[in-house]
Amino acid sequence: MMDLSERQWVKHAVTHPVEGFEDMRWKRSGSLKIAFLIVILLFFGQIFHSRLYGFQFGMPPEKTFNVVPYLVKSVVVFAAWTAGNWAVCTLLDGEGTARNICIYSAYALVPYIVQLYINVVLSHILIQDEAVFMDAVSLIGTGWSVVLMFSAVRTVHQYTPGKTVLAIALTIAAMLVMLFLLVLFLSLIQQIWVFISSVYTEITYRIRT
Amino acid sequence: MKKCYRRLTAALCSAALLCPGTFNLTAGADDPAQTYNYDLWDEAVPSQAGYIAERSVSGTDLGIKGFDEPSDIFCDGETFYIADTKNDRIVTADADFTSAGKVYTSFTMPDGSATALSKPRGVFVSQYTGYIYIADSENDRVLIAEKDGMVVSEIRRPDSELYTAPTFKPQKILADKAGNVYVVLGNITTGAAMFAPDGSFAGFYGANRVQPTSERLGSFFKNLFLTEEKKSRKARNVPTGITSFDIDGDFIFTCTSSSSQQTDTVKKLNAAGRNIFAYYSATFGDYTPVYDSTRNIAFSPSITDIDISEDGCINCLDYTTGRIFQYDEECNLLFITGARSNQLGGFTSAAAVESRGERLYVVDSVKDTVTVFRETSFGAAVHRATSLYNDGCYEEALEPWYEVLRRDGNYRRANIGVASALLRKGDYKGAMKYAKRGGSPDIYNEAFEGWRREFIKRNFAYITAGITALAALLIFRRRRRRRLSAAEKDTGKEEAPT
Repeated sequence: MMDLSERQWVKHAVTHPVEGFEDMRWKRSGSLKIAFLIVILLFFGQIFHSRLYGFQFGMPPEKTFNVVPYLVKSVVVFAAWTAGNWAVCTLLDGEGTARNICIYSAYALVPYIVQLYINVVLSHILIQDEAVFMDAVSLIGTGWSVVLMFSAVRTVHQYTPGKTVLAIALTIAAMLVMLFLLVLFLSLIQQIWVFISSVYTEITYRIRT
Repeated sequence: MKKCYRRLTAALCSAALLCPGTFNLTAGADDPAQTYNYDLWDEAVPSQAGYIAERSVSGTDLGIKGFDEPSDIFCDGETFYIADTKNDRIVTADADFTSAGKVYTSFTMPDGSATALSKPRGVFVSQYTGYIYIADSENDRVLIAEKDGMVVSEIRRPDSELYTAPTFKPQKILADKAGNVYVVLGNITTGAAMFAPDGSFAGFYGANRVQPTSERLGSFFKNLFLTEEKKSRKARNVPTGITSFDIDGDFIFTCTSSSSQQTDTVKKLNAAGRNIFAYYSATFGDYTPVYDSTRNIAFSPSITDIDISEDGCINCLDYTTGRIFQYDEECNLLFITGARSNQLGGFTSAAAVESRGERLYVVDSVKDTVTVFRETSFGAAVHRATSLYNDGCYEEALEPWYEVLRRDGNYRRANIGVASALLRKGDYKGAMKYAKRGGSPDIYNEAFEGWRREFIKRNFAYITAGITALAALLIFRRRRRRRLSAAEKDTGKEEAPT
C-alpha cells in the first residue's frame, strides 16, 4: 500500500488534509529537495503577484523593483518559521526533526502558492467587477494552507489539537523574538563598524601628519 | 582601454540623467524656477514650464511712487487693484499692467468728511454691485466704497455675542453675488466673518478643522484627568485660521498658510460652508517637504494665497518655496512655477496671486513688485485640453492632449486624457496603453473590458474549439488511464497464483 513517488506524496499530502501527513510520516517520505523547490516557487509567486498583476487591479506598488522584501516575505519568513518551530517544539516534547518540519511546512504551503499563480493569471482575464472570483480563489487557497499547516505541525510532532495551537502561537512569538534579536544585532554591528571605521580614520590622519 | 573609458563616461552621464531627485534642468538659463511635475509614484520629475516670468513691475514702472509692502492684488477684468499696505493706499492699474490709474488714499464719507486708509491689506471689487471692498486693517474696519471714492458703508467690530475676540483686524475680503461680505480677520480661527449686505454680523463661515493626530487624541484622554487650572495652562487645540480666499461664482475657495496642518489647506466651500474638496484625495503644494541643506530645515508648504482663474484653474501661492501650484478644477496638478530667488521669476516674500486671461500676477511684499507670468505654448495646450476634458469633451480634447505629450511625455494628465478619448472612440488597445502610462486602473479596467469583449467576439470559434479539444483530451486520457490500471490489476491477479 501507498507506494507513491515523492511527487505523488506532495499531491497526497495536499489533497488529504487530515490523514495525508500521517501517511507520509508512516512511510517516512518527503523530500527536502521538493520542499526547497516549493519555497522557491513561493518566492517567485510573490514577485509575480506583486509585479505581474493585471493593471486593472491597481498599479505595481513601487517604482523600482527591489528583490529584498520578496526574499524576506518568502525565504526568510519560512526559515524563521522552521527554526522557531523546531526550537519551540524541542522544548514541548515534539517528535519532529528540523528536516521534517521543513518538509511538512513547505508541503502545507502548496495551496497558497497555487492560489498566487492562479490569481496572477486570472487578473489578466477578469475585470474589476469579477474580482469576487479572485477573492474566492485566494480565500480557499489561504484557508486550505492554514488547515494543512495545522495538520502538518500536529503530525510532525504528534501533538493533540490543543497543543498544536499552543505550539503555533509560541512559534509566531519565537519568530518575533528572532526579529527583535536581528534588529538588535544589526544595530550593534553597525555601532561596532562605526567605531572601527572612526579608529581607522583617526589612525590614517595620524600617519599622514 | 580608451573604449572602456568612453563607455564608462557614457554610463555615468546616463546615470546622472536618469537619477531622480537630483535634476537641475531649468527651462532656460535666465529662469530661476525648476519646472517639475509629479509622476505616478509622486516623485518629482522635470517638466515643461507652463508659465514663464515676463517682467517685474514696480510702482515706479507704473508711473507712481514705489510700492511699500503690497499685500493684495485683485482684478475685476479690466482694472487691477493693489493694496499697497505701507503706503496706505489702493493703486489701480490698467489691463496691460503698464500704467497706474486712479490711486485711492482717502475716501469721502457720506457726511462729506474725508477718511484716510491705514494699512489696507485686502481689496476686492464686486462685479455685481461695482463697489470696492477694502480690508482697512489698522483702522479696524471694512470700507465699502464706490469707484469714485464715495463711501457706501463701513463695517466695524460687530457688537454681537458670537463675536468674542477683542480685536477686529481685517486681512482679506470678498463679497458674493448677494452682496454678503466675507472678511478674513487676524487672530481669528473660527473662519471668515460674514456680514449681511446691510452690514450686520451674520456669523462665521468656513472654519478649518483641527487635524486629527495622535497627539490630539492623547491630549483628549489626558484632559479627562486634568483639573481646570491645568487645562487652562495647556496649549489649546485650535485649528489654523483662513489665510486667504477667493470666490468663483457660488463657491468660495479658502487656504491656510499653516505649514503644520495638512487637512483643510485648500477648501472649496459651497454656500452652506461645506467643503467640497473634503472627499478629494488631493495634496496641495509640494508632496515631500523641501529640504534646505544650508539651514538644515525642511519646509512644508504654506499656501498664502489662492486665486481662481476664469477657466476654473486654482492657483495656490506657496510662501515657503515661492512657487505657484496650479490645479485644474478637479484638483489635478497642472504646473509648478516660481522659485525663491532674487532673479526675475523668483520671490522673496510672495504675498498674493491674481490671474487675468493667460497671465498670472504675483505680488512680492519685500521686493515691492508685481511679477507678471505669461502662459507658454505648452501651458496653453494643457489649458485647452484640460478645459475640454473637464467639460466632458474627451474626443475633442484628444488632439490637444497629443500636443502636450509631444512636448512632455511624462505629463501624467495627458496620458489619462488620451486614454479617456481613445476609450470613448472604441480604440481599446490604445486606451489600455495610455491608461497604463497615466496610472489609471479604472480607465484601464473599462478599456480592458471592451478589449476582452471584442477579443472573444473575434476569436469565438477558436476559443470554443480549444475548450472542446481540451475537454476531449482530458476525457480520453482519463479513459486510457482507467483502462491501463484495469489491465494492470488483471495481470496482477494472473500473476498472483503463480
